[in-house]
Amino acid sequence: MTAPRKGISNTLTRLFLKFFAFNFNVRPRLNRYLRCDDGWLNFTFGIKTENSSVEQALTFTNGLVRLLKAYPPMPDAQLIFRDETAMMEAVRMPPNKLMVTLMENRMVTRGNLGYLQLFNFYLSLLLKRVQIGKLKKETKTENRDYNMADASRQSIDKRVLKQLSASMPDPGVKWLANSYLETYSLSDFPRLSEFLDIHLKTKAAICHERPLLLTDWFRKNGFETGQDGRPWTPELRQAHGFKYLMENRAPIIRTNDLIAGTTTTKEVGVVLYPDAHGTMIWGELLTAPYRPVNPYEVSPETIDVLHNRVFPFWLKRNFREWVRQEKDYPLCQKLDERFAACFLWKTVALSHTIIDYPRVLRLGTGGIMEEIDAELEQTPSSEQQKRDTLTAMKISLEGINAYAANLSAEASLLAAVTADAGRKAELEKLVDICARVPAGPCTSLDDAVNAMWILWVGVHMENTNAGFSLGRLDQWLQPWFESDMAGLSTEAEREAYIRHAIELIGCFYMRCTDHLPLVPDIGNYLFGGSSSDQAITLGGVTPDGDDAVNDMTYIFLKVTEMLCIRDPNVNARYHHKKNSDTYLKRLCEVNLNTTATPSIHSDEAVMASLAEFNYPVEHLRDWSATGCVEPTLSGRHIGHTNCMMFNMVAALEMALYNGYHPLMRWHLGPETGDIASGEIKNFEAFFDAFAEQLRFLADQTCEYNNLLGEAHQTLRPTPYISAMIQGPKESGRDVTRGGALYNSSGTACIGLADITDSLMVIRKLVFEEKAVSFPELIEAVRTNFENAPELLARVKSRVALFGSGDTEALEMARRITRLAHDSFKAHTNYRGGPYTAGFWSMSNHVAFGTLTGALPSGRLSGKAFTPGLTPEPHASQSILDNIRDVASLEPGMMNNNIAFNVKIVPAAGDPHEKVVDTIYSYAKTYSDLGGMQMQFNVVSSDTLKDAMAHPENYQNLLVRISGYNAYFVSLNRDMQVELIERTEYGMA
Amino acid sequence: MTETDTHTPLILEIKGNSLDDGPGIRSVVFYKGCPLSCIWCHNPESKKAVQEISFDASTCIGCGTCREVCPRGALSPDNPGYIDRQKCDLCFLCVDACPSGALCRVGTPMSVDEILGAVLPDKPFFDNSGGGVTLSGGEPTLYMDFTGRLLTALKENNIQTLVETCGYFDLERFIDRVYPHVDIFYFDIKLMDEAAHEQYCGVSNRRILENFRNLAATAGADGKRLLPRTPLIPGITDTDDNISAIAGYLKSLGISEAALLAYNPLWHEKTDKLGVPDPYKDDSTMTTFANNAVLDRCRRIYTDAGITPV
Repeated sequence: MTAPRKGISNTLTRLFLKFFAFNFNVRPRLNRYLRCDDGWLNFTFGIKTENSSVEQALTFTNGLVRLLKAYPPMPDAQLIFRDETAMMEAVRMPPNKLMVTLMENRMVTRGNLGYLQLFNFYLSLLLKRVQIGKLKKETKTENRDYNMADASRQSIDKRVLKQLSASMPDPGVKWLANSYLETYSLSDFPRLSEFLDIHLKTKAAICHERPLLLTDWFRKNGFETGQDGRPWTPELRQAHGFKYLMENRAPIIRTNDLIAGTTTTKEVGVVLYPDAHGTMIWGELLTAPYRPVNPYEVSPETIDVLHNRVFPFWLKRNFREWVRQEKDYPLCQKLDERFAACFLWKTVALSHTIIDYPRVLRLGTGGIMEEIDAELEQTPSSEQQKRDTLTAMKISLEGINAYAANLSAEASLLAAVTADAGRKAELEKLVDICARVPAGPCTSLDDAVNAMWILWVGVHMENTNAGFSLGRLDQWLQPWFESDMAGLSTEAEREAYIRHAIELIGCFYMRCTDHLPLVPDIGNYLFGGSSSDQAITLGGVTPDGDDAVNDMTYIFLKVTEMLCIRDPNVNARYHHKKNSDTYLKRLCEVNLNTTATPSIHSDEAVMASLAEFNYPVEHLRDWSATGCVEPTLSGRHIGHTNCMMFNMVAALEMALYNGYHPLMRWHLGPETGDIASGEIKNFEAFFDAFAEQLRFLADQTCEYNNLLGEAHQTLRPTPYISAMIQGPKESGRDVTRGGALYNSSGTACIGLADITDSLMVIRKLVFEEKAVSFPELIEAVRTNFENAPELLARVKSRVALFGSGDTEALEMARRITRLAHDSFKAHTNYRGGPYTAGFWSMSNHVAFGTLTGALPSGRLSGKAFTPGLTPEPHASQSILDNIRDVASLEPGMMNNNIAFNVKIVPAAGDPHEKVVDTIYSYAKTYSDLGGMQMQFNVVSSDTLKDAMAHPENYQNLLVRISGYNAYFVSLNRDMQVELIERTEYGMA
Repeated sequence: MTETDTHTPLILEIKGNSLDDGPGIRSVVFYKGCPLSCIWCHNPESKKAVQEISFDASTCIGCGTCREVCPRGALSPDNPGYIDRQKCDLCFLCVDACPSGALCRVGTPMSVDEILGAVLPDKPFFDNSGGGVTLSGGEPTLYMDFTGRLLTALKENNIQTLVETCGYFDLERFIDRVYPHVDIFYFDIKLMDEAAHEQYCGVSNRRILENFRNLAATAGADGKRLLPRTPLIPGITDTDDNISAIAGYLKSLGISEAALLAYNPLWHEKTDKLGVPDPYKDDSTMTTFANNAVLDRCRRIYTDAGITPV
């Protein structure tokens, strides 16, 4: 094939790159960025079009930028545009929109994404004024420029809650006189109100403390090999680095806080993990403060530190690039980098697990270290890997203890200079607590909560803050609450203590908001508004199978209701045979009052979904929601339950086009039959084609997940959490190597309702009624129904959908869940565990929808899918049909849980109790019918529209996306529109 | 006995998840056909007992498929309301051909079993919420035989039953067929003045008031709830005189609580689709939602008379 003639775009590109090179070569202010602390940043970078009508490349060599005469065969990084039009469009776009170009495959990247980001950084240095100007304009157009401080106050003050009293006492409550705690409100806790205000008004800031300390340590002590030139045992390297980090990071106690320690040095800090996706922010360091959605503060010092000292060290030492180098840039990686079929979370994190808090709180890290010592004594020197792993675990715990000691010292310094007697006493209490825990056993609720937080800070210093979860905190804290209570003699003391307990848990919630995951702008489109999803689980049954609801359950619910914040992500287990109506009604009331949380899980159904793994029943009963909604067995299980977002609709599209994916313009999948030439003769043949494409994609994504797992084992094993999860001590393997007692990997399969409805249309209209031929339907789908309005109308009005109560549609949905479950079950992960299938979507039903053409269901090109497995809005007029259908799916086929969103809107005059009772009836019946999980969004489209127009009044308006909570104002426009368009079931 | 007493009714719709037609979560079965002809009827499609055809301009995609199949040339964008109802003989070929569902049959014959099949799946919701099935309309008592069988079947399935009635029925048949199987009656008392009732509702109110008096005497003792309801129609039923008269009447029967229904003008939207005349279309008092002042005034009258408004 001969290359097409180079055109005007090629010349323009050349001229621009010349201009770029000239500036960087002659202007010292720019030129200095061509080097870092380790020396010159040398690489090649190319820009081209798919058909090579444009081909230009630059080399960066020892401080000199040159335009290459010939395009190199494999530049270190390159941007490939679909065509010249796409390229010219991209040039005019503000930087945030450029990311959409990438996502929508109008532009494709090849090679090391770190170099691409470095080039973007250079571009932003050159074009700073233009780019910032464009972003400011976008911000204004989207109504996002307003005074945050006023907005926060306004939003907090606007919130007035109606409160029920419990009509029946809860049998699990021992000390609370009113289990609903309805007499307390936020105004009783000025400290919490102040923290909430800070949370809502403070722009997050990128914190370089963690990456800088770690990078310094690794640079000094070696990464691949140690100072002695011998290869590092990765576990030991990470443990030493972690210990250094914990010893040297600033021990900070927030003004007025009851809990010591912070995740970053910022009020609200963005944590950087350069061995994961940290370098993805390189290109945005200058512009991030100005981007319209979720902007970050970035100080000049941070830019300097990251560019010169941190990022260059990690350019090739991150999960993605490790796979690219070590595994020869496999197909599965190329697929992931095209965004349309999957998103592999292991490029960011190996997370979604729960440490064994109760054990650590009971024994102290000191007790755990003694156990490790005992194990070490029994481990012969021939088992070096085990000895190293155990040693690494111990070193890590020394690190966390050092941090606690530093906090104690800091509290002491602060107490010395604090005049206010009350605060002084609080600080002195912290001096004492941090001197004892988490190293020693906890003796009070204050001990336990502080120890938990310190341990939690450690978790996020070692592991990416994406979906690490807290577990059954009501269960684990109740013993301290009870023993504290038992020591009090008067009613007034007990009353004061309950108040203190509420405030303490409130402080813990607010501590959890002190950090955010790093979201490069493209993430605002993929996972908009997501925090780090620190899931808390309440209620359910005890390991013995009894009603687990207790005093602390209601204290957590009270705090959840008062604060109404997105993180922690509160999940409630409800066992319809063991838990009380009083409890369920309270869950519904809190959901109503917060408009979005907690998410309600039917205990029996979730446990039934895991039956195939034959977990011991007392471990199974101890499950917690992890990340969004997914079950893992608390303290014993590495379930990385969000290892991938999997777009099932991509498989459907590939089946429609014989293996070709239209948006990616890629003959990717197997050839399963050309519909246009009549190769698909009946519905079963088409279903088989779809199944084959889905299995193909599952093969690819599992392969990439497993390769990324290996990257984690090499680059970032996690001895610290390994020390606090059951298994590694005995197995002698880090949790990244399968050392935990239980292992699995969980997927989120997206598009169940859209696929069910599409398959129903194909079966009904094409093969049963023969109202349209298959080729005709495909042609209409291919052309977005533009020439087939009649067919579109027929498709949308004449076929029963999932969620309508139609038994055939329901059976179709069940069949698809079975297919997804079985396709993943066929794979084993790199830790020896199974893959599970979940049906929730975070916000990817919007992002993947953007990347998908029209569907046979009549869903038009680019429109969002339904969230999680929520039925299509027009499936039925009655929400009860939705609820029954979803409840009728088989839990065993959905062993990574589901997200079922229900948007209900009470009429303005409806009495509070009536609304609570109605929500209660929905939730109770759903559970009785065997449903797994449901979440109510109690907000009207009118309110959401108003919030879009006047975000300054709605800083705390919480919405449920699909598995997680977000502030409506923090979402990108597509997601806001999607929420507004979701069916709204009136309660009038 | 009315002529329709033993007929099988047409059903307009079975509405699930209804929260305002009785306690808890309910399914409401809307009958077609009513002995009254209230000019403000909230469900104008329920007045006639026979099938009708409706056209929804907002759903129509203008493809013209219906015009091709109509044997009588009754369809045209030039017709007011699209359908020439003089020409249309209700063959419904157009409805079957319409791809978008803009043309619809109004009223479908359904058997007791079919209705049961439609409501039973929601029984768990009824049970958890204290809800059940409401028969509404139209007028369920127009079809005593059918309604009696339907109610019997519902009770056999332990479903709580509620009948909304205009009160214009044959008492003897009612007591015989319907009354034993009903837990709750919502009974409309619209106008106390007989002439006004004839003028606005098409029939005298004597029979209605007589029926109500009889039910009021027995319902409580039989463990049934009887709730009189009055829709507040601007200038027609919401006058001080009428509301006071109703209050006095209820008080005299020992009734202590009664419903006042705020005016809801949404029925105007339905008249166009059915092609029925709407004399109040341009009357602003009839096309806007009730304001609270009216409701408060009427409630005060009730309260003063010792009736609790609900």
